[in-house]
Amino acid sequence: MDITFDHVSKNFSLISALKDISFEVKQGEFVFIVGSSGAGKSTLLKLILHQIKPSSGNIIIDQVNYRQAKKWQIEKIRKNIGVIFQDFQLIADKSVEENIALALDIINYPHAEISAKIDEVIKKVNLNNRRFLFPSQLSGGELQRTALARALAINPQVILADEPTGNLDPYNSWNLVKLLKDINEQNHTTIVMTSHNNDIVSSLNKRIISLENGEIKTVNPIKTKVKHSKKNEPA
Amino acid sequence: MSLLKHTWHHLRRSPFQSSIAILIMSQMLFIVSGFSIISSGLSKILKYFETKPEITIFLKDGLDKATVENFQKELAAYPSIKEIKYLSKEKALSLYKEQNKDNPLLTEMVTASILPASFEVSVSDPKILEQISQNISTKTNIVDEIIYQKDMINSLLRWTNLIRQAGFILTVLIALTAFLITSIIIGMKVTNRKDEIKVSRLLGASKFYVQRPFLLEGVIYGCLGSLIGTIFSSGLAIYFRSQINTFFQPIVFLPYEPTFYLTIFAITTAIGIVIGYGASLVSVKRYIKF
Repeated sequence: MDITFDHVSKNFSLISALKDISFEVKQGEFVFIVGSSGAGKSTLLKLILHQIKPSSGNIIIDQVNYRQAKKWQIEKIRKNIGVIFQDFQLIADKSVEENIALALDIINYPHAEISAKIDEVIKKVNLNNRRFLFPSQLSGGELQRTALARALAINPQVILADEPTGNLDPYNSWNLVKLLKDINEQNHTTIVMTSHNNDIVSSLNKRIISLENGEIKTVNPIKTKVKHSKKNEPA
Repeated sequence: MSLLKHTWHHLRRSPFQSSIAILIMSQMLFIVSGFSIISSGLSKILKYFETKPEITIFLKDGLDKATVENFQKELAAYPSIKEIKYLSKEKALSLYKEQNKDNPLLTEMVTASILPASFEVSVSDPKILEQISQNISTKTNIVDEIIYQKDMINSLLRWTNLIRQAGFILTVLIALTAFLITSIIIGMKVTNRKDEIKVSRLLGASKFYVQRPFLLEGVIYGCLGSLIGTIFSSGLAIYFRSQINTFFQPIVFLPYEPTFYLTIFAITTAIGIVIGYGASLVSVKRYIKF
């Protein structure tokens, strides 16, 4: 599932969140979107998900141009995108298990296999003893991991992660990034991740799209692994 | 998560709203089923009189025996006559006394002279009654009044139609109320679950996917309302059946067959489903725009 932004701008009234952005993410790539707060990182992810529409330009996902896309095509694309929202977007009156089950039900995952799939992803994100708890009973990190579990459960072609390490301690942050890296390498899943954490961004030797005031400042295809602080990385 | 589980989740999370919707639906379907039962009884009364052709001819006072006998012969000459019964003034008095034996005030002042003699003519072909009625109505020197089944049936039909119309208007009014209340309740539930709907849509759910639980909820309100409404109306009918049927004897106003009550249940369920689904559809179309 390729992602193409072709001269995309997004305005909110008089404010320009993104200005004439063009880039391409190929299937299986791992791309970091970096930039200061208000640079337009979350807006960019929302545009990929068609949560908001661009003011101008074209967004082409999986060869479908959103401008000409039918509703069912957008729904199909969304079913192949696992999202970790910055504000988690978990359903308050559903347990961890039910939140994950909802995502599986939406993609028509076989009902008989849902429970086993939940077991698998819950184990993967280390939420074993939180399965039946509700979002209000979880810590920030646990909420983040629940959102990750929901995204992973559907075996997506693309994972959009909006500041997924924002609420995690360094140990869990590295664990999460390692998990995303493994998924990217093993399943050839495209990962588009926004982050403030320079250590993580620089450690993975992946392409970085740097945004500043809604414009692409640099697209940095890192060739060599940048030395990073090893103290936070799990053994 | 199956659709039923999802819908049950909605019902469980707002039990008060759900109970109100079920209650109003039950009231509406109680009235619908109640009027259906009454309407069926009224139809039986009509059918009974329609299939029992009779005419009563009241005679003028002071007729001699020969005139009465000649008149009886004239009546007997018509085809399809089953029976001609003569009721003299004295017999009419004894019948009147028998009918009002519990009310002596009504019988004290009445004598045979003020009651008319009459002929009760029953036929096998109801069409002949019209002919008899037309012919004898010209004999004003003999005939005082004709009570013809047709008049009685027409009068009964007027009352039956009036009751049916009143029932229909009442049903429409309460159905409209049930529709609006269910629609408002589902609308409130949609608003309460806005975040869930939004998230589901972002995860790729179709509009119909997020609408389904609310539509099913409306259908469940209709089914439960029908079940409760019919249980109450049929329960009352069965409880008072013997008294009512004795009153209308020989007509069986309230039937004994379970199939009758099952049919009523099926009809009210269909009405409940249509109203519940319709009300939910209006709400989800109005509130789920994203």
